[in-house]
Amino acid sequence: MSKRKPDIPWVEKYRPKSIKEMALPTARIGRQRVKIDEELTKFVNQFFEERNKINKENREIREFNRTAIEKDQKEEKQIPSEKTAVLLEGPPGIGKTSIVYALANDLNMEVIETNASDTRTRDALERKLKETTKSRGIMDFITESKEKLILIDEIDGIYGVQDRGAIPTVLDLIQNTQFPIIMCANEYKTNLQPLYNKIKRYEVHPLPKNEVTKITKNILKKENITSLKNEDLELIIDKNNGDLRGVINDIQGIGQGKIDDDVKELILSLHRDNLEVIFTLIRDLFKVSSLREARYLVDKSDVDYNFLYKWVNENLLTFIKSNRELTEAFENLSLADEIFGRIRTTQYWGLLPYFFDLFAGAVALSRTETPLSKGFQRVVFPRYTSGTYFSLTSIEKEFIEKIKNKYQISEIDFVQDFLPFLKTLCGTSRKQLKNISDWLELDTKEKKLLK
Amino acid sequence: MSKEIPIWRVKYYPKNLAQVCGREEVKETLMHIIQQGNFPHLLFIGAQGIGKTMIAQLFSKEFLGKDYNANFKLVYADVPLNDEERKQARAEAYISTSKIGSVAGRTIATPAFIQVKIKPFVQLKVLGDVPFKILIVKNFEALGSNQQGFRRLMEIYGTNCRMILITTKISSIIDPIISRCQIILFSPVKLDDFKDLILNIANKESLSISDDCIEILYQISEGKISRAIDILQLSSISDNTITTEILYEISQKFHNDLIRSLIMVALKGDFPKTRELARNILSNYKYSVQELYKLLLIDLNKLPLSKITRINLINLIADSDFRSLDGRDIDIQISALLSKICLFSEYL
Repeated sequence: MSKRKPDIPWVEKYRPKSIKEMALPTARIGRQRVKIDEELTKFVNQFFEERNKINKENREIREFNRTAIEKDQKEEKQIPSEKTAVLLEGPPGIGKTSIVYALANDLNMEVIETNASDTRTRDALERKLKETTKSRGIMDFITESKEKLILIDEIDGIYGVQDRGAIPTVLDLIQNTQFPIIMCANEYKTNLQPLYNKIKRYEVHPLPKNEVTKITKNILKKENITSLKNEDLELIIDKNNGDLRGVINDIQGIGQGKIDDDVKELILSLHRDNLEVIFTLIRDLFKVSSLREARYLVDKSDVDYNFLYKWVNENLLTFIKSNRELTEAFENLSLADEIFGRIRTTQYWGLLPYFFDLFAGAVALSRTETPLSKGFQRVVFPRYTSGTYFSLTSIEKEFIEKIKNKYQISEIDFVQDFLPFLKTLCGTSRKQLKNISDWLELDTKEKKLLK
Repeated sequence: MSKEIPIWRVKYYPKNLAQVCGREEVKETLMHIIQQGNFPHLLFIGAQGIGKTMIAQLFSKEFLGKDYNANFKLVYADVPLNDEERKQARAEAYISTSKIGSVAGRTIATPAFIQVKIKPFVQLKVLGDVPFKILIVKNFEALGSNQQGFRRLMEIYGTNCRMILITTKISSIIDPIISRCQIILFSPVKLDDFKDLILNIANKESLSISDDCIEILYQISEGKISRAIDILQLSSISDNTITTEILYEISQKFHNDLIRSLIMVALKGDFPKTRELARNILSNYKYSVQELYKLLLIDLNKLPLSKITRINLINLIADSDFRSLDGRDIDIQISALLSKICLFSEYL
């Protein structure tokens, strides 16, 4: 019998307790490579030094102000903002949060965390953070208090009406804090620009693949899982693309479930329950008999609507057959799309109800002739996701670079004019294909483009 | 070159201005400019695919001589910026609060295209022993309202960098730009010049081709020399003697017919099939929606349809084009149009 408690997520179970046992991601500041653990330790230590110095000076200033006349009074000093806060930027699951907790553990500090799951309006943030930053509890004087570290996780998640006023509060906090602040973010956001100007930004890069493999194998060993084949493990690691958390979650899913030969299938099924929600939603949607029902379905589900209307687009044909209905349905869908586009450009979200009703209810209700089939309706993934902008795959890009060495041509002309010609030419005989690929020095992947 | 170039359009790409086929007047003007060593901003106007860019490039190459690489840039106005460039533009557009003045802490709306692609080049000093740099902007009309941004650029950096703007439609270029440029008009290659060129190639590749065939080739390639050479090369594979049948057969393979078949399939009323075809075309050729609508319109006018049908279809396309101005999902908009055409076909 194994003693492990199955209900602890492995991510938490194996969260590093100390920086020493961590696989440290590489970090950069600007273009310069830095060691993130040293930088952060230095930052925290420097902060406390600075704070004690400034607090002492402020005390003297206050002392002086008490007796001095008003016009001679001095202002209290503040710690410069680049010494009070840092920002860690990087893709999810590479250990940004872990490193902060490990650091706090090493330095014997307490972490006060706020993340995107908290509402972060001005009031809420102030309540949570300012109290802890400005004052100290009565108990702190009696027991020996721990120093605190403020972690503002997922700061790029500060967005929209719910978090109104959060950014000025954070800026304010940086000015007045009594504890060091570390922020984490996934991506660059324009509305955070005022923040970027004030603080140091570290770019954190994903862990290299061999590190991820090492850690994962270690965990597998500790959990006594031997049935996972190396190549399957590699598949999981590749799929997660440097996201260690994702890898650990996946192997937990496999390790604790029944272990099948077909692990690949299992990996897929890990993400299936989310899809299942969409599948049933789509099926139910086309059964509705009133707008209100459709609206209820869409509201109830938490599927991202950005995404949902593309599902409707893809699966419409399964449920609606005649041209008359199709025209009706697409008319509504395209109008919904247009409205959505306008919402995005004007940011007038008041139009959103129309969007919902049009893409869900109105489309579903276009089905007037086609009978509802009794059998199982297969719902498919949106295959065709079109970007708004012209984009090339990486292979196409390499290909075009090679052509450009020999022949000046624009990317658009290449795709629309030159590539079709090359394809037909290469289609005529194997010799032609060889000639051309030799001339352009193509590798096998690029050759496939010509077929 | 030791190795034979397998693609004829590259092989017979002219090496200098003198080798360019036809267009004597234009060549003369440009040669004159090269002798003078100075020129105003130029505006090249002419139909699509007749060699404006090629001539502009060869001209710049001859004008700049050995300093060509450092002082020349070709920009495609219709290629949208990629994510990285967008990011860069956004970062540069912000004026830091550490600066003083009323603009501090604000974002200025320099068009991203000019900020990223044009400014860095025109602002840099001339390198080497040439009077100025040359910037070619292809498909200038695609810039739309960004053209306004060029007005000042052309004046401020005019001494440092001359621009050659290339466009197919003079009507979509704003007047202030036209007044700042010397206009050079391009006509398609004349049949006689075209004949000389093709005969020359046929000679070198030991092909036999009759005058009639050349005329047909001229027609199906619509005056585009690169297209004509492509067709010629494909035809030559099966036989050294080029015949009319082969030419027609080959030209069928080019994509304009795909658009035509899209309309035909839609008019048969089978929507799922139509949508599949449209998706294939879009993903293989990476057309933007606007381009696809344009092509649809062009091909629609070539099809043998009754007046009423044609007008109705144009109506549908126009409607859909208008809607996709604001729409975000190309697939939905195109599907909507195609479903309408499918329904319409039932009433024919």
